[in-house]
Amino acid sequence: MKFSSNGLYVEEYVKCTNCGTLIYESDRPACVESTDKELFCSQWCVDWAAAREKRWKQNA
Amino acid sequence: MDPVMMKILDSTMVSVCREMGITLMQTSYSTIFNEALDFTCAIANRDGDMIACAEFCPAQIGGMPLMAKSMVKEMPLDQFDEGDIVLHNDPYRGGLHTPEHTFFKPIFVNGEIRGFAVSIGHIAEVGGMVPGGFCGEATEIFHEGLRVPPVKIVSKGVHNKDIWRLLLANVRTPRYNYGDLRALISAVDLGERRMKEIYSKYGADVVDQTCNDLMDYSERRMRAEISQIPDGIYPFEDLVEDDGIEDRPYKISVEVHKTGDDIVADFSGSAKQAKGPINATLGVTLSATYNALLHMTDPSIPKNSGCFRPIRVVAPAGTIVNVNYPAPEVGGNTETHPRIAGTVIGALANVIPHLAMAAEGATHGNFVFGGVHAATKEFFACYDIEVVGWGGRSFADGNDACDSINGNCRVTPVEVFEVRYPWRVEDWVFREDSAGAGKFRSGVGYTKTLTCLNDEIIISQMTDRHKVAPWGLNGGLPGDKGATLFMLSGANEWLDASQAYGKISPSKYSNISIRKGDRVRLVMPAGGGFGDPKERDRESLREDVVEGYVSAKAAQDIYGL
Repeated sequence: MKFSSNGLYVEEYVKCTNCGTLIYESDRPACVESTDKELFCSQWCVDWAAAREKRWKQNA
Repeated sequence: MDPVMMKILDSTMVSVCREMGITLMQTSYSTIFNEALDFTCAIANRDGDMIACAEFCPAQIGGMPLMAKSMVKEMPLDQFDEGDIVLHNDPYRGGLHTPEHTFFKPIFVNGEIRGFAVSIGHIAEVGGMVPGGFCGEATEIFHEGLRVPPVKIVSKGVHNKDIWRLLLANVRTPRYNYGDLRALISAVDLGERRMKEIYSKYGADVVDQTCNDLMDYSERRMRAEISQIPDGIYPFEDLVEDDGIEDRPYKISVEVHKTGDDIVADFSGSAKQAKGPINATLGVTLSATYNALLHMTDPSIPKNSGCFRPIRVVAPAGTIVNVNYPAPEVGGNTETHPRIAGTVIGALANVIPHLAMAAEGATHGNFVFGGVHAATKEFFACYDIEVVGWGGRSFADGNDACDSINGNCRVTPVEVFEVRYPWRVEDWVFREDSAGAGKFRSGVGYTKTLTCLNDEIIISQMTDRHKVAPWGLNGGLPGDKGATLFMLSGANEWLDASQAYGKISPSKYSNISIRKGDRVRLVMPAGGGFGDPKERDRESLREDVVEGYVSAKAAQDIYGL
């Protein structure tokens, strides 16, 4: 979640690409950015999304 | 860990939460609180973890931890003073839906915050497009009433009159809102006072350490329950029948992954978010998943954030299970929550059917109305909760006419309803053959018929199960669907909202004008049955026929009597 410079309103709602958790600006340093610039709240989410995609492709 | 101290403290804090709830009930103005009990009270630690709660509304119990953590993110602890109270209802900052107003009061001990007293309640009138909050045709969050990010409504014990003026200028029933909001504040005032007494009696460090032990204990108990479920991936799907804007269903799809003592509920296959107000926030989806698992595990596990540690939820943004700003979402917390919980229960029914329930009616009716009362000349607004049949289980029939899985609310008694609002309740009747048939049948649905006594009442509704029947389990049959029907004064046939008023959805609509003498009939759904109907105990079946729950014909044709 990105706040305006005066902190009075929200300018952007940022969520984890996998689990959908709201990511505050203070959380950003702990986040993981994938090679295609997608933002994840944790390495667990990166791994989970990759495993899901692989499983869905196998089952397709 | 001191298990005796842990038990004493857990019981004491739960009692505090119950006392907070009773205070709220007895001091509130609206029937949604003092009759329906649509609220929850809890204690959180300084990090926003829930450490105790009372057994009121499950949707709010599961949603509270995310709200508290979001509040602490936006309002760090060093910004609090003793005597502050924060108000927060923002669905896009960890909230559940706009009506759910949450109050946090910090508990200071020796100048340091140790935790928060928390009260959450569904305010019946929140401004927006319709009286009563549930706008079935909303297409933006702004249609759904006033959004309140975390703000200090009380600062160092002094009420912030500017915030009060802003809040009360944006609703149709300011006198009632004032009373209900003050009731929620009374609850956190009491909770703070009681917790200070507890801290004083046992010492702050002992209490904090014991609360940590208590959450660890709940986590261990929950992990022990989960570990008994066979490892595997269990999928399930259900549908929300429409969104009030487009006449098409929206899929809720879950894969429940069970590995060791962990569970991941992945909703990635769910529909994109809807234009209409059926979308769930992440808080709702977390709460619904927790709710389902609490229903299927040992009820004696202390309810706190420790229970939720073994459970992860994957709810991609922009879907019906994690709505993106600024889409509408008011129905997500009432209609989509039980669908989400139902999919988790349905998925796990594959491997632990003895702990599962077939689908319940999964709606709260959400019949809302308002107008100027002819007798008092004052604007009234009401959120009327209606109830449903619950699904059959492996060991018992479903409950008859019981609030949906996420509510645990009561129905307002007819006598109170008629005194408070200008309706006459003509009948309220269990529906024969509505129950999903099974070895254990579902609870039954019912009809309730109202006649308008006012010159005009404006009604809106956000419900479901008018098109998609509740599913059965293990050979049990689907239960009967619901309906909302209208008969205008002087007419002689019942029509739904699409037929009578040209609405896209018969179950989600806004601002229908009802005149004196017009009648509205609420037909509430049943649940699904569990097991083959032909295996139903014959004595129970004969009793069903005598009681009028099952007709003689259905007993013969479906149950094979």
